[in-house]
Amino acid sequence: MHALIKTYGRGLTVLFVALVAAWVLLMILVPGVRTIQRAFIYEDRAGETAMIAIEIDRAYTEKFQLDQEAADLHAQAEAESAPSSGVPSFGAPSMGGPTIGVPGAGPSGGAAARLSPADRDARLAEIAAKVATLEGRIADLEAREDTSSGEAGMKERYSFENFTTMSMVHVRIFVLTLFYALCVTVLSFLICYPVAFVAATTRSKGKLTVMLLLLVIPYAINELLRIFSWVMILEKNGILNSLFDALGFIDLEAGEGIRFVASNGAVFLVMVYAYVLFMVFPIYNTIDTLDPNQLEAARDLGASSWRIHTRVVIPHAKPGIAVGAIMTFMLSAGSIAAPEIVGRGLHPDWFSQLIYRRFFEADSWNQGSAYSLALLVACVIFIFATMRIFKVGIRDIAK
Amino acid sequence: MTVSVSAAGQAAAPAHRRRRVEWGDAVLNLYVVVFFAYMFLPLLFMVAAAFNQSPMPSVTDWQGFTLKWFEELPGDTRFVQGLMHSLLIAGGVIVLSIPLGVAGAMILTRMQSRANTLLYTVLVSPVLMPGVVLGVTTMIFWRDFFSVQAGLFTAAIAQTSFIASYCMLMLMARLQRQDRTLEEAALDLGASPLFLFRRVTLPFLMPTILTACVISFLQSIENYNTTFFAIGSSWTLVTEIGSRMRFGLSPMINAIGVIFVAITIIVAVTHTLLTRRKG
Repeated sequence: MHALIKTYGRGLTVLFVALVAAWVLLMILVPGVRTIQRAFIYEDRAGETAMIAIEIDRAYTEKFQLDQEAADLHAQAEAESAPSSGVPSFGAPSMGGPTIGVPGAGPSGGAAARLSPADRDARLAEIAAKVATLEGRIADLEAREDTSSGEAGMKERYSFENFTTMSMVHVRIFVLTLFYALCVTVLSFLICYPVAFVAATTRSKGKLTVMLLLLVIPYAINELLRIFSWVMILEKNGILNSLFDALGFIDLEAGEGIRFVASNGAVFLVMVYAYVLFMVFPIYNTIDTLDPNQLEAARDLGASSWRIHTRVVIPHAKPGIAVGAIMTFMLSAGSIAAPEIVGRGLHPDWFSQLIYRRFFEADSWNQGSAYSLALLVACVIFIFATMRIFKVGIRDIAK
Repeated sequence: MTVSVSAAGQAAAPAHRRRRVEWGDAVLNLYVVVFFAYMFLPLLFMVAAAFNQSPMPSVTDWQGFTLKWFEELPGDTRFVQGLMHSLLIAGGVIVLSIPLGVAGAMILTRMQSRANTLLYTVLVSPVLMPGVVLGVTTMIFWRDFFSVQAGLFTAAIAQTSFIASYCMLMLMARLQRQDRTLEEAALDLGASPLFLFRRVTLPFLMPTILTACVISFLQSIENYNTTFFAIGSSWTLVTEIGSRMRFGLSPMINAIGVIFVAITIIVAVTHTLLTRRKG
């Protein structure tokens, strides 16, 4: 700190410290702590809020029915005011011989069909009055819902229930997600290690430039589009099934197409494709710093290719492998794009989808926080385990 | 005699080994070719389907060449608005991330204390966190403490929390290569601290700051995970693409894909050519 003040003066130092403090507090620590706090607050939803929600639903249904009836009556009035137009206008159920009741409109729809103009006006006025009271009621209920869904109305208590009430299905999805993410990580390493090795050890500058360019381009292309390109291949009428058809394995026209999409296997494969490049670059960067003479020496001393890799190259590339593994694992465990797009959002078989549903469909933010926390803890454990296994520090990781 | 025998043996062994190495190299090179085919073939299919008249994105069912999917893009208000939102967010992210990155890098490279590693870990942690978690925590924080509903603002903040870390890492790498004697000389010659920062440190950091701007911009535009959770009912170009992909395929998405791919290739090739000329 003294060094900083000595060079840049008090003013700039204070500015730097203030910026970093704002960053740490407003964007990292306090949001994190608040999420953890929410994860341990259990909301008892059987209480008042749920009742209010049901009442609001009912009021809306009633209002919708009344609005429908009013619309019918208006349509009727218009049809009668212009009866000689000759062209049968739609929306007028009383025209064209026998009255065909509006299908599905219920009893009120049927009643609306036979009314004299005077009765109709009376009914319309009645409906308008009812709708007005309903609207007032809805506004009142919604105001109460807003206050009660906050801290005030809901029964809240600190507990582990957000975690313990996780159903077995969700626990299974959690474990499977982590397992698949681990598999994606291992497979990505196996796939990209030779590529990184070739790029890092090639002597031709032109070849290196081309290879790096070919790696950067797909890396920089949006994740969603890269995932989407696989949907076209894996779809029921997609390229893979057409290929099988052409080879005679299946008959597409007989509907024998195999539905690859919306399966966990497909999501898994697409993830390997999407995230493998996050493994290539860190490994390339570390192998690139390996002295070629070391490889030469190992070769001259008679080491086999296998031993050169396991005893010289991989030990040297450890930090890169660790970074790649952490990034790949984190991206695939937390991926929402791949399961949503390949799975068409139909199969909540990935943990990030569950988190999304907790927040935006079940409207249970505290449980959503608990699920996010579970995912975060899993990732942190993975990071520490990787650092331990590869014996690298945090400074080596984030470079 | 013995000398010549051992010399011959030494010459023979490497030749034998070299042949094996060449074989290995051939296999490796073949593997690299297969790998790149794996990377690019799906993208080629996607690009081709953008020019197909078929209303479902397809290359197997070719109904003729067309540009109509591109022509429909400017008329799609949600895409156009999404692009505007994306640019707005990206602008905000750059404006926030660069000062934060500079401040973090200055403190971490100049401060020699035990808290250094702890601070470093905290500042880098957003990069290592799943995007889902970043989006969710930001959304919760702003709603609970400031009653700000999720939207473009929270999306920009959530993105900044990790993009600033990238900027900081890049700037730290640059600062570590700085020649400190320049600053000392300036101070000895009577420069004020502010003058020093403006005329010595900032110019030295400038190339990295520019690169950081470009990278922040791209990261922000392309981000999906974090934005998807933090943006609430609003949308960016990428989240809109994502929801279209879920609710039915259209070659319009392929058309957008072609534009993305084209821009990426142009930027990557230009960058490579520029750095090559320099190097």
